[in-house]
Amino acid sequence: MYVLFFGDVKEVRQILPHFCASHVNGICKSMASLGACGEWLVSTYEKKLIAIHTKNSREPFVFDCSAAEQKPKDPEADNKSDGSEETGSDKILAFAVSSSAKLVALTDDTKRLVLFRCEPSWQVISTRWVVRRCTSLVFTEAEDEVWAADKSGDVYSFSVVEPQKTGELKLGHLSMLLSMTLTPNDKYVVTADRDEKIRVSHLRSPHNIQAFCLGHLEFVSSLLVPPGHPQWLLSGSGDGTMKLWEYESGRRLQSWDLKQLRDMPNSDTEKEKRSAVSRIAGSPGGHHVAVQCERVPSVQLFGMEQGTEERLMPSSRLTLPHCPLDLTFDPQGRLWVLLDSRETPFLVYTHTQDSWQCDSESPELKRVTEALQPHWEALQDSAGLESRFQHLYKGNFDNMASYREKKQQRLQQQKDQGGKKRGPGKGQQSNGASKKAKKGNQPGPVTKASS
Amino acid sequence: MRRWYISILSLNTSIKNKMSVSMPQKRYYRQRAHSNPMADHTFEYPVCPEDMDWSQLYPEFFSDHQSTQKAAQVEFADIGCGYGGLLVELSPLFPKQLILGLEIRVKVSDYVQDRIRSLRAAETGSYQNIACLRSNAMKYLPNFFSKGQGLVYTNTDVEEVHLWMVKHFSEHLLFTRVPDAELVDDVIISRLGTCTEEGKKVQRNGGKNYLAVFRRVEDQN
Repeated sequence: MYVLFFGDVKEVRQILPHFCASHVNGICKSMASLGACGEWLVSTYEKKLIAIHTKNSREPFVFDCSAAEQKPKDPEADNKSDGSEETGSDKILAFAVSSSAKLVALTDDTKRLVLFRCEPSWQVISTRWVVRRCTSLVFTEAEDEVWAADKSGDVYSFSVVEPQKTGELKLGHLSMLLSMTLTPNDKYVVTADRDEKIRVSHLRSPHNIQAFCLGHLEFVSSLLVPPGHPQWLLSGSGDGTMKLWEYESGRRLQSWDLKQLRDMPNSDTEKEKRSAVSRIAGSPGGHHVAVQCERVPSVQLFGMEQGTEERLMPSSRLTLPHCPLDLTFDPQGRLWVLLDSRETPFLVYTHTQDSWQCDSESPELKRVTEALQPHWEALQDSAGLESRFQHLYKGNFDNMASYREKKQQRLQQQKDQGGKKRGPGKGQQSNGASKKAKKGNQPGPVTKASS
Repeated sequence: MRRWYISILSLNTSIKNKMSVSMPQKRYYRQRAHSNPMADHTFEYPVCPEDMDWSQLYPEFFSDHQSTQKAAQVEFADIGCGYGGLLVELSPLFPKQLILGLEIRVKVSDYVQDRIRSLRAAETGSYQNIACLRSNAMKYLPNFFSKGQGLVYTNTDVEEVHLWMVKHFSEHLLFTRVPDAELVDDVIISRLGTCTEEGKKVQRNGGKNYLAVFRRVEDQN
């Protein structure tokens, strides 16, 4: 359904489906993710966060958002009709691990922001509330704040030192934010949106934009400052490419089309729908980068090539039994891949002698798998078929085309009428009157189109 | 004096550029003052400022014999240029500098483009330094322009809007207000309120014009 609405911009946001990314048909998409937190492996499945210790058989820590603190009822809220009474699904939308692995934060579809400590044991420090659903969380290197990027394009910082303090608005984009990262020493905040933009702003004065990294042709879905390369930024997009930037100047250094790297000579390239880059991960040593594209059952690896200038080069591609949900490197540099499978939820790869080997016999893998299985939750929809990013591609309403057509008709009519036409008051009706009756996509008079 | 030609307009818009064109009539280009900037209209914009081909808009400034000179750059941007009144007024005042109008509305931006085309045809060599683009400046300004210093002129007849703009620019740490005393000789100021459609309407209705100018400054940190 398409409705043109000339009200407050906020009202428009509620109606346009583009701004309710996870709420296609009112259902929040399946969410699962994976991250390393020191010696813990942290995974999220729908509403649960599950942290499993890799080295010893400690009981996993499980946090279920559906059992979490409820928002206290705001007596004023009943008078508002801004959609805030809509209840969330409690599904976890993003989580972050701090640099020392002592803190974790998660945000869910019910607009919670939960802060945890991991040592000496896992414990909730605080539950706060965000204004709008978030897509990305990141801790400062100093671990004094956690930053949240939301679907309306705003970035808030939340204090860690004062865990109950409400968030402070830091900067805003004019489009949904999809990814965010901070650069070493907390110098810059890098934010990426649906309008193909990557913005680099000074962290302590975010109104001051340092640069834009412009080059992607579709929404930018992932960002990474690769470990060991503090001046570089990697970005992944709905255009299927990954790009390498020198973020301080906005200069693009390299670009790879992941689809081209994948293509088999005999494959029917027409069939393959566009596949967004859904995760870019970097090994702690700074030698490897792993890239995941949605609905693709493989992982593309890149390695650093030494030379007069360091360059990132595609190295190997790991074929998987099905499309991965997420991937991460652990502190030892092993690559963990999360799959939608109860029997084998994890695959782990180690880099030895210039190649990546799947380590299926590792005792750690066995332990971690066994620890997860009782908590493993079937995802609502098979992640292989559904795409988290498909709806972010813009549907273009070409207002110019229909306008031009009508204009040509008008001019042609005038030409045909030739000398008969003179000035206003005679001849044709003004366009305004004739257009009101039409349904259309043009900005202008309020129109409604049927669904 | 403008001359009127019988318009022999072909359906192919590129031919229009080569033939004499009559002045567009505003009544065919009327559109409401508001357009939803958050909707996904189809806009054409370059991937980045380096990729922008300005020669399409300012052909005279990018012709071959100019290639040895430093490439011209757009130095004035009229955000929300409406029917192009300010562009037309400023064109002869800054003949060597490029001026760009940005307008989000379909019909109105088309009007300005037709108007400029017509003016250029009527007076050879004139109005080559103005052009209009249909775009959402709020979203796509960084695609067209790289970071720069300069001045922001704000003008409105609605006091609330004026106060809002002054508040936000003043609070923004990268802008300072230029005091009125410094603007006494400014050629743009005197025309801002009078040469645009809106400006003329305000004058007719005896409304007040609120002006505020801001300068981009360096971050103090």
